[in-house]
Amino acid sequence: MNYNITAYFIYLSMTIFIIVFVGKYFYRNGRIFILSLLKDDAVTTDHLNNILLVAYYLFNIGYAFVKLRFWQKIENMDMLISSIANNMSVLIFILASTHYMNMILIWYLSRSKKSFLTNKTFQS
Amino acid sequence: MNHSYTVIAYFIYLPIAILLTWYVAQTLFKNGLVFMRDIFFGREDIAKATNALFKIGFYLLNIGFALYILQIYDSLNGMQSIIEVLSTKIGGFSIYLGVMLFLNLLLFFRGKKVARQKHEEHLALQNLAAPVK
Repeated sequence: MNYNITAYFIYLSMTIFIIVFVGKYFYRNGRIFILSLLKDDAVTTDHLNNILLVAYYLFNIGYAFVKLRFWQKIENMDMLISSIANNMSVLIFILASTHYMNMILIWYLSRSKKSFLTNKTFQS
Repeated sequence: MNHSYTVIAYFIYLPIAILLTWYVAQTLFKNGLVFMRDIFFGREDIAKATNALFKIGFYLLNIGFALYILQIYDSLNGMQSIIEVLSTKIGGFSIYLGVMLFLNLLLFFRGKKVARQKHEEHLALQNLAAPVK
């Protein structure tokens, strides 16, 4: 087994673990925001949340696999570590930037709907 | 045996960077929950969810950056050069973490200010409407 195949196995197992972990995390914590944007319609919220999770998996795991095609030739141990770290960091940066963009989107949507997330009268 | 020093340096660098990120995130977001409660006027569920989302964003951004700067380009030829290269990397990374910490803190303070302004406007509107009813 040469260095490239080892790198692919390590890279794929680590990135898929990170993508699934982060996806579950967003699935749990994002539900309440969809619920308040859809005006407490729990059935639609759960379906929409499932669809969003699957779409997220398809996009990100697909991207992780596409990156294998453009991998450099690895000749020794330290190139193995540094190339895995480089490729993973790009993927994690993409996750982070999409996440912050989604937070900005939630903030913007809740603002334009007379701000029921931060509105005191909405509690009662 | 030139490359083994680089591998040793990577294996020292990675746990230190990840532990540092974990420690900073832990400290920031344990105290961030108090700010979130103020911003969302005691609505516990939304405050907790927002805090958790900011936390995972912080982790993604900083661990991504730690991996991005991992590569060592100089050839290392002894313990001394490992220590010198690693001290530059870890020092730079901790300065970057400090900047990120302050940016998050700024975000919390800004959110608190906006929420308080909105609350005061709301109260003023209620006071204005009260005599009419």
